Amino acid sequence: MIAYDIVVGAGTVVAAWLLALVALRSRRTWLKATYAALALTFIVNGAAYVGTTERFLSSDWESAVLWSMILAHPLTAILVLGLIHGETLPRRRPAIFLLLLAVPGLFVLTPSVDWAVRHAYEPNPLGAFLIVSLGIALAEPVYERLTSSLLATDSFWLSVGVVALIIGGPIYNYEFDILGFAQAAGSNLGMPIALAAFAYVAFHADPFPTPARPKTRKWSGTSGLPRRNAIVFDEERPAYALETARSEASQGRPVLIIARASLPPGPDSDGPAVGVMEPSRHGALKTLATGSEFVARHPGAVVAIPDVADVVMMSGWEPTKEMILRLRQVARDTKSTLVLSVWHLTEKERRELKGLPLVWWTLPDAAQEIEAVLAASFGSGARHLVSAFCRAKGLPRHEVTVEKVPALLEFLNRAIGELSGSLADAAANQGLRAQAHVAMESLQAFAARSPEDLSHGEWPSKTAAASDRELVVTAADYWKGKEVDELFGAAQGLQEKEPLYERTRDVFVEQFGDAGEGVLRSELAKLGRKPEELRPEDVARLADRAAVDLGAMADVVDIPQEKVRIRSQIDAIRRRLEAIAGDQS
Amino acid sequence: MERRLVNLLVRGFLLFLLSMVLVFGFWEHRYFYQVGLYNLLLLGGLVTFLVLMGFRLALSGELPRGRPSGELTFSLEEGDRILRKAVDLTVHPAEGATLPKIGQVVRARYDTGREFGKLLVVDGTRKFLSDVTDEEARSAGYRSANELRTAASSQWKGKPGDLVALIRLRPVGART
Repeated sequence: MIAYDIVVGAGTVVAAWLLALVALRSRRTWLKATYAALALTFIVNGAAYVGTTERFLSSDWESAVLWSMILAHPLTAILVLGLIHGETLPRRRPAIFLLLLAVPGLFVLTPSVDWAVRHAYEPNPLGAFLIVSLGIALAEPVYERLTSSLLATDSFWLSVGVVALIIGGPIYNYEFDILGFAQAAGSNLGMPIALAAFAYVAFHADPFPTPARPKTRKWSGTSGLPRRNAIVFDEERPAYALETARSEASQGRPVLIIARASLPPGPDSDGPAVGVMEPSRHGALKTLATGSEFVARHPGAVVAIPDVADVVMMSGWEPTKEMILRLRQVARDTKSTLVLSVWHLTEKERRELKGLPLVWWTLPDAAQEIEAVLAASFGSGARHLVSAFCRAKGLPRHEVTVEKVPALLEFLNRAIGELSGSLADAAANQGLRAQAHVAMESLQAFAARSPEDLSHGEWPSKTAAASDRELVVTAADYWKGKEVDELFGAAQGLQEKEPLYERTRDVFVEQFGDAGEGVLRSELAKLGRKPEELRPEDVARLADRAAVDLGAMADVVDIPQEKVRIRSQIDAIRRRLEAIAGDQS
Repeated sequence: MERRLVNLLVRGFLLFLLSMVLVFGFWEHRYFYQVGLYNLLLLGGLVTFLVLMGFRLALSGELPRGRPSGELTFSLEEGDRILRKAVDLTVHPAEGATLPKIGQVVRARYDTGREFGKLLVVDGTRKFLSDVTDEEARSAGYRSANELRTAASSQWKGKPGDLVALIRLRPVGART
């Protein structure tokens, strides 16, 4: 029956092509290995079957048909469960690997007790083993199809694959036997359909591209964030979530941030790895795969999702909720930590998330708390100080985070220096400096507080002590009755003292890292200006030119998320340069 | 009228092809008649059913994306701009709304209630209204982010701190 052999041969070629596709395109090592094992087994099975039937392989190869057929069944079950449970399969369903232990015994026993390949699916121990393997492979997707919103679609395709194997295996075996075509035993016509369905599911759950983690210093195993946990950072912007991730990474702990856009480079080389989400309706599944794959490679790691709403927009709320629960389980299994930031979730989604077993840290707005700390020393002048600082650095208020505290301290030092120069009275000067000293210490203490500590709710804005207010009154007395508000109004002129080039350079470096200064210098060269000749009107022109030149750069980039990232950087640069130019004029 | 005729001809031709495929399948599997009437009815019936279902989906034009589910409402002006592909982004309030996800095909309606087409959701993000950039506002058909905020304020009383969904769309069929 040459036609049947041609079909089996064609199926084998398709299997080889699918194997190459998965091997080249999949980013998931564990699944790639499992898929390769199954596909190779089917390829050997198909080639040995066609070779021995068409007599271009010796009859010794008939044993290859037998062992490959036996081995393919447990491998199918392992791959199907692996596609559902991912890297956690060895922890969640370790018993599945016991099926492999039976393979050598069955292979050795089969010829001796006359279970020929043609009787493989009949009632005997071999038949029972094969049917149990296929039964497990079918039962798990059916269960997931009924219970999981995240895996419902993929479970369907997994079921299609297993059903194809059942039809091409036991059912066709039975039919061909009735039709008197016993030579078909040992082959499986459903094999390419099954492999195609499994590959389809594997690509749905392919992780987002993640750069290889640079070699960093060894992690001691101790750090601030609790392990085996999923922590929700409830804050207005994901400031603490990102800061915590960076802080953990700087201690050598493996950290992965899964975000829609690349993040600006951090201050040091020990920064976290960033997996950039690509728009996909399988976003929740891909996020789960990205996180699972990372913590499987780096047990004890931190996986941070700075905007859970991005996943919701891709896949919907129910799959996202399930993804969070599954990632939490992965984190528990691998002694890792999951960090979630929920700033773009709706009220309803937040309520539902609070019902899940997650650790919930409600965190303050850093800018507001910094203002409260300053207010304890300077009263209403704190508002002027913070807004002057924002103007000097070209920052919108919401970007004032604890990371900016060192810069704020430096700014405060200069501000106090300026202000004390305007006070003739030595006692008032001393009072002002004492107050500034207290404020700086309080700011440093606030910046040093961990998110866990802050989550207890004792924030400076809530616990402004009466004693501090008394001190302000005392200082105001020293300042000869000058209103503190009026006094700090003078701080608004401070930004003019900072060299214009330095402020402009800070903007570029913040967005592009060290390369930012080179970009700025080339833009200056096009304007025909040297750094020391930079004027406020040049900054406005620079904002326009940078937007045009960098926009052209974004246009030639083919990767959509990179294009978005560059455009957001251009937008940020333009906004801040315009702010600087506005201040100066 | 002419378009309907073309549609009818194409669908008729495809149905004829399907009939030929089925007849070929019966001929190819003629030996299977030996498995017995009841086995044949069950297995052959299942296979034929799946083939017919597949063709039904293909002919309805709903493959590979599935049936439209959910809907988005637009003003007359905004709806026309989307149909003409002059804009590909729409900004909707996120709070209290059922938002479509990526890959979903939604029915597009004018705020008068009339359906005017089907739209494929290509991408989606959420932002605070105050964070929407000028470029995003231009993609949504406004001259600037400020103009968008003004429009949001008048259309749904949107405030700068409100959460909005930025949904990128592609028309996949107009209702004529």
